[in-house]
Amino acid sequence: MPNLKKSIRTIWIMLVILTVFAYLLGYLELINNSLVAILLITTFIKGELVIDYFMGLKTVKLKYRLIPLIWLGTVISLIAVAYYLPIASV
Amino acid sequence: MPNIKSIKEPYPPGDFAIWIIIYVELVTFGLLFLGYAFSRRSNIEMFNESQLLLSQTSGFVNTLILITSSYFVVRAVQAIAEMRQESIEASNHTASKWLLYAILCGMAFLVIKFSEFYYIFGEGITLSTNKFFMFYLMLTMFHFMHVMLGSVILFNIYKKTKISGYTPNDYRGFETGAAYWHMVDLLWIVIFPLVYIIR
Repeated sequence: MPNLKKSIRTIWIMLVILTVFAYLLGYLELINNSLVAILLITTFIKGELVIDYFMGLKTVKLKYRLIPLIWLGTVISLIAVAYYLPIASV
Repeated sequence: MPNIKSIKEPYPPGDFAIWIIIYVELVTFGLLFLGYAFSRRSNIEMFNESQLLLSQTSGFVNTLILITSSYFVVRAVQAIAEMRQESIEASNHTASKWLLYAILCGMAFLVIKFSEFYYIFGEGITLSTNKFFMFYLMLTMFHFMHVMLGSVILFNIYKKTKISGYTPNDYRGFETGAAYWHMVDLLWIVIFPLVYIIR
């Protein structure tokens, strides 16, 4: 159990670091086309950490874990499509 | 000899019904996220200008608060899952301590979000001001209600831990409430970059 507590603390620290990274991108107005992709990837990683370690789905049958992971991947991918797809000029 | 690490639990933690609710909630919020992202394409300048009225710092602080509250809930679940017949009182006590921290985080989130709404409404902004604020208010108010409900659920679990109501054979309700709270956290993890950061 001590190892489990340690790993959960590590997950929490990773989530905090990725959140600080996202905030700094916005606060320092660094956000641009390529950094949006990185921001979305870090958002996926954060979501995956919550699904696997906080919700505890890493240790259950794959189908229960796949549902939220596919949801997250689809939502993040389509947000990327909405951001990057060229807007047709009228 | 089978590898113990590869043995998976047949069902997710908590009542199975909560997972149906969680999956439905994820789809509902997912549609709102995509509605926001694709509506933005029709008027990017207006979305970017409207976004300037939001405080990225309050969104950031609220993200840290929810992530930390989720961590506290995991620690509470761990305390209960480690429980033995002879340590029921001690385990419930430890879990109640972590839950109290999580509930306080939930309260802090609600206070910060309420102050944000107070400012936004004070500026005369409503659901019909423009598409950005329509989505912003729908997403964040809907999420706000989930945080309120989650806090009530955590408080009820907290009350039960105070009377050592969970035992090694009966803590499914505890895991159910925890799963709901993590969903609330997961949703905000997407809302924060989508609404507050990406421009």
